[in-house]
Amino acid sequence: MSADVALEVKGLRTTLFLREGRVDVVRNVSFQLNDGETLALVGESGCGKTLTALSVIRLLPDPPARITAGSVVLDGSDITGVPESTMRSLRGDTVSMVFQEPLTSLDPVFTIGDQIEEAITAHRKVNRREARDMAVEILKEVQIPSPRQRLDDYPHQMSGGMRQRVMIAMALVLDPKVLIADEPTTALDVTIQAQILELIRAEQERRQLAVLLITHNLAVVSQVADRVAVMYAGEIVEEAPASEIFANPRHPYTQGLLSSIPSAAGDSKHLYTIPGRVPDPRVLPPACLFAPRCPYVISRCWHDHPGLEASNGHLLRCWNPQPFIALKAVEPEVDRSVATSE
Amino acid sequence: MASYLARRTGYMVLILGISSVVIFYALRSAPGGPSGGGVLSPLSSQEVRQAYEKRLGLDQPIYTQYFIYLGHIATGDLGTSLVNGTPITELLKVHARNSLILGLSALLLSYLIAIPLGVLAAVKRNTWVDQLAMGGAILGMGIPNFWLALILVYFFSLRLGLLPSAGCCDPPQLIMPALVLAAEGTAVTMRMTRSSMLEHLRDDFVRALRAKGLPEWQVIIRHVLRNALIPVISLTGLRLGWLVGYALIVETIFRWPGVGYLLVDSIIRRDYPVAQFFSLLLILFVLLANWFADIAYGLANPRIRVA
Ligand SMILES: Nc1ncnc2c1ncn2[C@@H]1O[C@H](COP(=O)(O)OP(=O)(O)O)[C@@H](O)[C@H]1O
Ligand SMILES: [Mg+2]
Repeated sequence: MSADVALEVKGLRTTLFLREGRVDVVRNVSFQLNDGETLALVGESGCGKTLTALSVIRLLPDPPARITAGSVVLDGSDITGVPESTMRSLRGDTVSMVFQEPLTSLDPVFTIGDQIEEAITAHRKVNRREARDMAVEILKEVQIPSPRQRLDDYPHQMSGGMRQRVMIAMALVLDPKVLIADEPTTALDVTIQAQILELIRAEQERRQLAVLLITHNLAVVSQVADRVAVMYAGEIVEEAPASEIFANPRHPYTQGLLSSIPSAAGDSKHLYTIPGRVPDPRVLPPACLFAPRCPYVISRCWHDHPGLEASNGHLLRCWNPQPFIALKAVEPEVDRSVATSE
Repeated sequence: MASYLARRTGYMVLILGISSVVIFYALRSAPGGPSGGGVLSPLSSQEVRQAYEKRLGLDQPIYTQYFIYLGHIATGDLGTSLVNGTPITELLKVHARNSLILGLSALLLSYLIAIPLGVLAAVKRNTWVDQLAMGGAILGMGIPNFWLALILVYFFSLRLGLLPSAGCCDPPQLIMPALVLAAEGTAVTMRMTRSSMLEHLRDDFVRALRAKGLPEWQVIIRHVLRNALIPVISLTGLRLGWLVGYALIVETIFRWPGVGYLLVDSIIRRDYPVAQFFSLLLILFVLLANWFADIAYGLANPRIRVA
């Protein structure tokens, strides 16, 4: 049963070493990702999702960020303390990553072909022609039209959506076990977003990929995820199968995220937004980190930090879970009075 | 592209035309006149002097002289030196070769020093390596090159007796003039390489390249440096311009018989044909250098090439 675990993260803590002191921006994060499964890591921006992903492949910006606790098991082997040379041989081969910025994630002065071939030759002893053929194959697979001609294109000659396809092609060309996609569609047009998500889903199925899909947008998740982990202020606050998250969200933060999806609320003009903002990791609330923004806060939330407990097939970090009723936006009374007076 | 070339060429011709007029007038309105080398002694009489100038056509109005000169140039007649009668084509062969040797050595030397040190300083930013390199760069930019030349001559020639203090054209005689000529450009190029490297090290694609599992040296040298060199390359045209200016000083100090040396010498001696030809040659060289730098910039930067 544990043989098909592609990636397991246990008790990860990532710390920023800043001038004003140490700040833990990822705290005690654990998750498990199985072969052929898509786990979505969801949370507003600034929650620590990217730093979690970068911790896994050890590409944290150092300084200031460093892993200070926890372990990572990739494809059955513990890579927690392995040297950089080992990590290098794993990146792009066993675990690949696609980033949010398709426009700037390719080197502008090299052709698409050069950049894909280089990803291949970094790990495989193949000659130029074989590498080129592999590049053409993978471009074809990610549905880039006339792939052989495209090899000689420079990134600026392609649209954002095409570039993201190239990034995905590059990530998949060596058939990795795990794909980490950090906000892969955030920078793209809505129609293109759906296509890219569909591509990731199709590749995941074809290759039995384990996908860690990072997004701040729960709507994106419903298309592709098997399970969802909701992250808030550096911690996981709820984790459950995707269907459960949508049908029966338990954490008030998850409920807030769901309520702020336009289609779920039905009325996009009076869209719900969670009041307040993600706390600055340097000045966190005393106990439950969500308490200052929570509609169901009780006094215990200000004194005890809730643990992540299993309940009804969810992992949940909450003292006062309530059944889900789609939260409504407060009626913009002031606006209406202004409108009628005119 | 064709219209760009035409515009660029027209612009070069215009600049050359204007400069030739300015140079022609400036030379002739400077006090004194050609002494004809050994032909005229400083004590020669007014009549002798006038006869000599008449023979050279120097008694004509300057604009007439100018158009006569243009006519000669157009027929490929560059003239001869007033000092010793050497044809200018002969002078060109020898002096241009010497200047090219010196200039290219200086350029090569400065890129060989500046680019590796600039990369190293950026990668090891805020360490002693960086501070040493940047300290050196500040010195390189701050010390006037004639002063640097004197210091080098003092130590390496007078005190240590390692290098000849002047002359041409053995490799040991090349070392000091090339170093002096390279100094400021090296410093500027090094700082530019460093700051451009630092800028591109922050680019998103660097993280994406690391995520592909590329070795770090490949990320730095093949990708970041390649991007960082684009502004450095575009600086080359400007640098060649400085090089020409400094060559006048450096070649004179080290008595390196290049175009700069010849030009300074011919101006002092009022050797008009030599002075005007070689100053125009240097201007043409700077214009062409900038033009090549533009092309190189386009080649290095695919975003421009296609546009
Ligand atoms: N290089 C950095 N220097 C300082 N703070 C950083 C750096 N990278 C991220 N952070 C901080 O760490 C927190 C988590 O960031 P991140 O993981 O990028 O969030 P997310 O991906 O969920 O939007 C944020 O508060 C962010 O400001
Ligand atoms: Mg992020």
